Amino acid sequence: MLGGLGVSRESLISGLMLAAIVAVAALVTGFAFGANGERIATLFLIYLCAVLSISVFTGGSGITSFGHAAFMGIGAYVSGILTMPKALQVSALPQLPAFLAGHETGIVVAVLAVAAAGLIAGLITGVPVARLGGSSASIATLALLIIIHVILNGAREITRGSQTFYGVPRLTTLLTALIFAMAFILIARLFRDTGPGLRLRATRENDVAAQACGVSLFQVRYIGWILSAMLGALAGALYGHFLGAFSPKDFYFDLTFLLIAMLIVGGMLTVTGAIVGTALITAVIQILRLAEGGIDLGFVHIPVIFGLTQLGLGMALLLTIWRRPLGIVGLQELGPKLKALVATAPAETPAKPASSDKSLSVASLSKRFGGLQACDDLSFTIARGKVTGLIGPNGAGKTTLVNLICGQLKPDRGTVMIDGENMVGRAPHLIAKAGLGRTFQAIKLFDRMTVLENVTVAALTIESNLSAARKAAETLLARLDLAREAQRLAGTLAYGERRRLEIARALALKPRYLLLDEPAAGMNPVETEALKSMLDRIRHDFDLGLLVIEHDMHLIMRLCDHIVVINKGQKIAEGAPAAIRRDPKVIEAYIGAAPETEISPSTPSTGGVKNETAIGIA
Amino acid sequence: MKLRLALLSLTALGALTFAAQAEDLKIGLASAQTGTLAFGDQPSLAGLQLAVDEINAAGGFGGKYKAVLDVKDTRSDTAATVQAAQELVASGINILITPCDADPSIAAGQISQPAKVVTFTFCGTTPTITSAVGDFMFGTYPADNAQATVLADYAHEKGYKTAYILKSPDSAYTLKLPEYFQQVFTKKGGTIAGEGTYSMGQQDFAAEVTKIKSLSPQPDVVMTSAYEPDFPAFIKQLRAAGVTSPVLGSDGIDTPTVAGLGDVVDGVIHSSAGLPSPGTPLETFAKKFTEKTGKPFDTVYIANGYEIGLIIDAAVKAAGSLDPQALRDAVANLKDVEGVTGKITYAGTDRMPSRDIALVEMKGGSRSLVKTVTPNPADVPAP
Repeated sequence: MLGGLGVSRESLISGLMLAAIVAVAALVTGFAFGANGERIATLFLIYLCAVLSISVFTGGSGITSFGHAAFMGIGAYVSGILTMPKALQVSALPQLPAFLAGHETGIVVAVLAVAAAGLIAGLITGVPVARLGGSSASIATLALLIIIHVILNGAREITRGSQTFYGVPRLTTLLTALIFAMAFILIARLFRDTGPGLRLRATRENDVAAQACGVSLFQVRYIGWILSAMLGALAGALYGHFLGAFSPKDFYFDLTFLLIAMLIVGGMLTVTGAIVGTALITAVIQILRLAEGGIDLGFVHIPVIFGLTQLGLGMALLLTIWRRPLGIVGLQELGPKLKALVATAPAETPAKPASSDKSLSVASLSKRFGGLQACDDLSFTIARGKVTGLIGPNGAGKTTLVNLICGQLKPDRGTVMIDGENMVGRAPHLIAKAGLGRTFQAIKLFDRMTVLENVTVAALTIESNLSAARKAAETLLARLDLAREAQRLAGTLAYGERRRLEIARALALKPRYLLLDEPAAGMNPVETEALKSMLDRIRHDFDLGLLVIEHDMHLIMRLCDHIVVINKGQKIAEGAPAAIRRDPKVIEAYIGAAPETEISPSTPSTGGVKNETAIGIA
Repeated sequence: MKLRLALLSLTALGALTFAAQAEDLKIGLASAQTGTLAFGDQPSLAGLQLAVDEINAAGGFGGKYKAVLDVKDTRSDTAATVQAAQELVASGINILITPCDADPSIAAGQISQPAKVVTFTFCGTTPTITSAVGDFMFGTYPADNAQATVLADYAHEKGYKTAYILKSPDSAYTLKLPEYFQQVFTKKGGTIAGEGTYSMGQQDFAAEVTKIKSLSPQPDVVMTSAYEPDFPAFIKQLRAAGVTSPVLGSDGIDTPTVAGLGDVVDGVIHSSAGLPSPGTPLETFAKKFTEKTGKPFDTVYIANGYEIGLIIDAAVKAAGSLDPQALRDAVANLKDVEGVTGKITYAGTDRMPSRDIALVEMKGGSRSLVKTVTPNPADVPAP
């Protein structure tokens, strides 16, 4: 089954290591230190399950969920109703609807029912959360917490409303909690490295770039949310069977705060972080609990001070946010060291299909923002196997045009056709899937993911499974001379490598067209030269139609087969580089007048400076 | 992992230091000394501590057992209460005391009940606490249904025929108390003119107030168990809208701040566990408390905690030993224990005691006693 998910051996080993460490720690605490140790270990494992359920979604998507306490509530009530002894149920829940009453099921049936309840809750609540992103999604989860709380309070026949729901069998022992926790650790750890887990993390790092890699934000967030809601409901059942009696307020803000604190202190981004945070906060609470009851050590007497635990919790949180914003663990999962890729020679050059008749064409594209006509009836064609340059002064409408082509903006009028198919109205990730790769003016990598993961995310869009995607990514990295960096975090790469990685990632989509937004920005002449030869190579090797937006005239004039010039939203010229260079309209647009001037191909690049007027006097 | 080890060695150390004498009366408290329930648990503990000190000084509980308190803070968290209750029960306590709320009290009671440890909720007022747990669980504070009965009786006596009730589904107290009132009031011939609901903390009562204002005729009385911050907001907006119907409240508004609201609460009558008015035993106790502890007597929960000490003393005396079953039976059969707010009786009840409830009226920033009533058990609605 794991093979089917394509999860690597490393993540499995890492998951097993984490589960084993937790198991050993819990069992040592539970058996070597008597009943008190057993209780502490049990409580730790229950909290760990709850924190891991949040971590699956929050760690993946970067959207802090405040709603999981509510899922825990749902799980606790469902399991409580199903397992409650019949006689007790008659007195505790006299108005319970008949279909829920008198089941008195065993734990296995209850667990399945709880998972189903979590699934349903996740399916429903996931729709708004997955549609939103960032802090609005967080606020939506907060609203969910409140809504589910109100429902639990309102469903008096089933939950006893705000009154205590009692008579829940106290089934949660150290052993049951341990079995749950180990399963949760494995699921959470493996999910990270499955296709959906990987893509979810990409959305966390950069949602626009993730879309450009063919990732549907909604889809991956929805999957993550549903899994996480199911785990949350199961953790809640475990918690409910530990408490034995509870009411909706036990699954509200206080619990949410505690769980989020554990997650933040350990580190939201990793499963290791969830474990460390839960262990640390549990330890802080239990130690301070002892201290605040007053301790007589013989030589010193510590008086009774209540409130220390609360104080300790607050301090731990504050210190973490201040000193280690990513939590104690940070980015690195505990696990075997990932092997660097062997820099294999590029395998085969892909067969070059004859494609002269295929093109990406833009027709009558128009977009208005209030009083500004950002794009006005633009039409041009990017041919396969050719490099088309797009130039124009600042404010010409280049960025708007790029966003229209990629689907980030919807045009007022006009069409974008890829090989005969209209792309207007399609979501950006579908346009990416249809064959359009892109890079960004300001590089947008998935910084806190490895180089290999960056490329794999895009490869997943077209490959059938994770292993195939990883293989394709490895091949690409080798071709673009990044194989040695495969296991480094993308955020740690040097500038030129970052540009290359972004191109490699776009190529992983096996695109037919590639849109490069200022690829030479910030490069010195040597780097620019290397870039040019790389672009020449990949356009042949991959049979690409390239659209290059660039201010470096030196590069544009030598690289492009065809140039489109726009100004103030309108196309003012189009043609071969030589013709463009002499076009009076182009010259006027760039320097305002003087028809005798000519845009010089010999003007050296000015490097990172936005050079709008790389123009020489003829 | 190092932290865990440190924690565990501390646990072991802690266990050693709490060793009490074999013939001590060990009272374990899984009590909310911090958090949302501290408002009731802190003063209750202060009262209990005073009772324990006095009784110990006078020869011990039942004349022979010195009491030792082991207090564990639950932070008003149910899971922490379960953990504390488990620890305390395992350490061999004779009596367990749980927080001022039904959730943690029932959760803890489910642990002490099978272990046969007599358990009191500090000031949990939900009448189902005892039936949910079993025969070792006892309440002490006037239960919600008893308070509601006293209020409905009073409304009936005053000749009120119609009542409007305002409740909130957010807590058992704010929901069930008005519903108990409704049961007793309609049984005695009254009718409910209407009912409104609110969310705790909502602040804006315009909708509810408009609903009351539009009733014709106006209800003879408005009854609610709302407390701060909801009650002050509600009463201000109600009076500002020109509604003059009398208002009945419950012990949740028995605080100095509500009395301090001034004109708007003039004439509001509410139930209370007791009022230290001049000449009452409660006033004498209040003076003694301040004298001995140096702290003001600012809430009747102090008296309630003190009375738990008296109840335990009476039960130990009656049982003659610390045998769990004997101790439980003794508490269940207590009759007319002389407390500081009145007499307390468990015999014939379902372990929520029958006891005096005061009706007090707020006027000019202070309170005066209307009367003290012991509700007739036959009138008290089933929980």
